[in-house]
Amino acid sequence: MAFRLTGVRVAANSGSLEEARGRVFEFFKSACRSIPQIMEIYNLHDVISESQLRSNIASQFRRNAHITNPKGGRGLQVIDMLVFKGMEELGNIVEHAKQRHHIIGQYVVGQHGLVQDLNPKDDAISPFLNNFYKTNYS
Amino acid sequence: MGLGVLASRATRLSGRGNPSRSLFYVRTIVTKPELQSPEASSAAAAPEPTPDLPPRTPLGGARVHFPNPDDAIEVFVDGYPVKIPKGMTVLQACEVAGVDIPRFCYHNRLSIAGNCRMCLVEVEKSPKPVASCAMPALPGMKIKTDTPIAKKAREGVMEFLLMNHPLDCPICDQGGECDLQDQSMAFGSDRGRFTEVKRSVVDKNLGPLVKTVMTRCIQCTRCVRFATEIAGVQDLGMLGRGSGEEIGTYVEKLMTSELSGNVIDICPVGALTSKPFAFKARNWELKGTETIDVTDAVGSNIRIDSRGPEVMRILPRLNEDINEEWISDKTRFFYDGLKRQRLNDPMIRGADGRFKVVSWRDALAVVAEVLHQAKAKEVVGVAGKLSDAESMMALKDFLNRMGTNNVWCEGNGPNPNADLRSGYIMNTGISGLEKADTFLLVGTQPRVEAAMVNARIRKTVRATNAKVGYIGPPTDFNYDHQHLGTGPETLLQIAEGRHPFCSEISNAKNPAIIVGAGVFEREDKDAIFAAVDTIVKKYGNVVRPDWNGFNVLLLNAAQAAALDLGLVPESSESIETAKFVYLMGADDINLDKIPNDAFVVYQGHHGDRSVYRANVILPASAFSEKEGTYENTEGCPQQTLPAVPTVGDARDDWKIIRALSEVAGVRLPYDTVSGIRSRIRTVAPNLLSLEEREQATFAASLKPEVKQKISSTPFKAAVENFYMTDPITRASKIMAQCSALLAKK
Ligand code: SF4
Ligand code: FES
Repeated sequence: MAFRLTGVRVAANSGSLEEARGRVFEFFKSACRSIPQIMEIYNLHDVISESQLRSNIASQFRRNAHITNPKGGRGLQVIDMLVFKGMEELGNIVEHAKQRHHIIGQYVVGQHGLVQDLNPKDDAISPFLNNFYKTNYS
Repeated sequence: MGLGVLASRATRLSGRGNPSRSLFYVRTIVTKPELQSPEASSAAAAPEPTPDLPPRTPLGGARVHFPNPDDAIEVFVDGYPVKIPKGMTVLQACEVAGVDIPRFCYHNRLSIAGNCRMCLVEVEKSPKPVASCAMPALPGMKIKTDTPIAKKAREGVMEFLLMNHPLDCPICDQGGECDLQDQSMAFGSDRGRFTEVKRSVVDKNLGPLVKTVMTRCIQCTRCVRFATEIAGVQDLGMLGRGSGEEIGTYVEKLMTSELSGNVIDICPVGALTSKPFAFKARNWELKGTETIDVTDAVGSNIRIDSRGPEVMRILPRLNEDINEEWISDKTRFFYDGLKRQRLNDPMIRGADGRFKVVSWRDALAVVAEVLHQAKAKEVVGVAGKLSDAESMMALKDFLNRMGTNNVWCEGNGPNPNADLRSGYIMNTGISGLEKADTFLLVGTQPRVEAAMVNARIRKTVRATNAKVGYIGPPTDFNYDHQHLGTGPETLLQIAEGRHPFCSEISNAKNPAIIVGAGVFEREDKDAIFAAVDTIVKKYGNVVRPDWNGFNVLLLNAAQAAALDLGLVPESSESIETAKFVYLMGADDINLDKIPNDAFVVYQGHHGDRSVYRANVILPASAFSEKEGTYENTEGCPQQTLPAVPTVGDARDDWKIIRALSEVAGVRLPYDTVSGIRSRIRTVAPNLLSLEEREQATFAASLKPEVKQKISSTPFKAAVENFYMTDPITRASKIMAQCSALLAKK
């Protein structure tokens, strides 16, 4: 592999929540630093702006905001594991191991797809119906 | 029993008191010198085995039933005393003692053949090892199952079997679940002494279901015995002698039995395997889900083997009360229908008559709007034959909230009698049929309507020579029967005592009358049931406190639960004036009856007949993808479990109705399956006591007077094609092949 992100390798397990938190920020910053390069590699200028991409990445981080325990239920270092997975992903992206549609699908369009079944009346419907429109499983 | 326990304790104590014996006690013996002279070594081990063994549990939870406590005898298996009823074989005694005897030809539901010789054990004082499956256990017998003699005998048998058995396990579909493979791990030699050419046998064509590789056959004759004894077709047989021995159909002929698939399970090797499953998967890759079958009203217990999102095969599961360990061919092979013709997106028919894919939100909005435009009287709901109890409950609640009660389940006829539970279930129970000694079948062909019930009747007829009288169109039976007539007049004659069969009923100890659910569709249904009632009252032995011989044999999985839940239409003509028809998987109703300007919503999993008429399609999940309660014809509720994920954007049936109710503004008060079950508890609590058959409490004598006249139209066959009865089986390619090749013209 010609290119490797340096300086953000996950060392041994984090000792405390603070340490893990620090690593997350480190990683987020390195992700932000790669954004211009990513825009260039995957030719994203006409579909998304840098700031939008940054906020999309940030929202992926926030999805896991509720995880406060560096040691998960079965003694797993959950935050470390997530950071590690994120780094793998970032490495793959920067190394051009992905293709344009991967990036667009995951970071430009997002989880919910292009067609968003949004309806202004949605507040009035029950959680059951809301879930029903999304999936058969709860 | 008490005495026996005491006795065994006494022997154990005395055993402990004698330390010298344990010196001789060797449990597993594999040493070469001993093998070379087994007699000597067994003589050394002979001086009475140490009875100081921990008590063992019987194999596979086998239970011993003592028909007569006096007949109990005691035998010793490897020194461990067991009490067994008289007449059990040595092999069964070993099973009770918790020792598994290797076997190929013995099968506990088939007659004993004793031709494989794998089950040899040593019995004290007998000069040679004995075939335990064919040897009755005698009082005080001392059976030894893992002595060098027994082991050597089994190794010898194994060597002979492998002599002519191809060593092609890697390309054999039985691999991984093959008795020969397993037992050769224990008794096989690591090298062969056979240098000649293996014999080969021409494969036989047994039809579209069973694949044969006859070179692999070990001549255990299980399949032959199954065909003649359980399936009741004399198609398979043993031809030739010695090394020319072959299993085959005597003439070039397909095996025409609705139970033929079971030979795949009982064949201990890969000689008979499933044709549709051939080379599809290995059994250890599959995930098994224990669920039940919905193609008929029997509710056979099955295991769905799936890999990822695909159902790979269906196997029977043991349930002594319902299907024993067999299933019908339809149950076993219809699964490929689950992959064809599936509805996977909500669709609305546009102005040009073509379907357009829409989102759930739009589909439900359209349905709710049309529903509100129709008058309450003009709204009709029909549940299909594969519906589960939960969704039928939701459908009924929903339509009741819309102000109509026109909801029913197909197959139950225009005005079903849902008031007396004893009037629509099989009161005797499927296993209870074995106690009957005279059967009167009224307008039912159990062989095609419920193959497993037919297998029970056949078992009874074979075991006790029970008499079978049949009223209905000429049809095929695989047991002796008397064809009494084709129409209801014969029934009247019996009711009035003018028929020779009357004496059979009155002389019988436990007569059973089975009325087919095809009768439900007849105009004169009440009169026919009244005539049956007269028979019941006339011969006091049909229904009495300890025996209820009045049975209705239902056709579809949904029927019994629908009647329990009270899915009874207000008026039988409601569909002809309907403006809004909600079909929940109903494909077998007469679509011509629906007026042309009616709006038809089809909720279901297959693009079958009703889809051609539907205006909106709501995709639902099939029975293999959802958890649902089904009640079988004997009134035993059972549950399906999801084995594979749903297809596309489909949803569970009850969820669709719950969502629609909210969009339509009459929100149903349950959000979860458990919520809907508590609702069912208030209507039909018996549907929640799973796997327990609730007896119907009312006797048939409470029925009101019937004024209807019996018409003289002969009974019709309720099932035209055994292999294609519902949307899933109609979509199945294998079932189509079967009906082309096997179904009786
Ligand atoms: S085909 Fe199978 S079941 Fe039949 S005799 Fe051969 S080995 Fe036994
Ligand atoms: S099992 Fe006893 S001889 Fe085959």
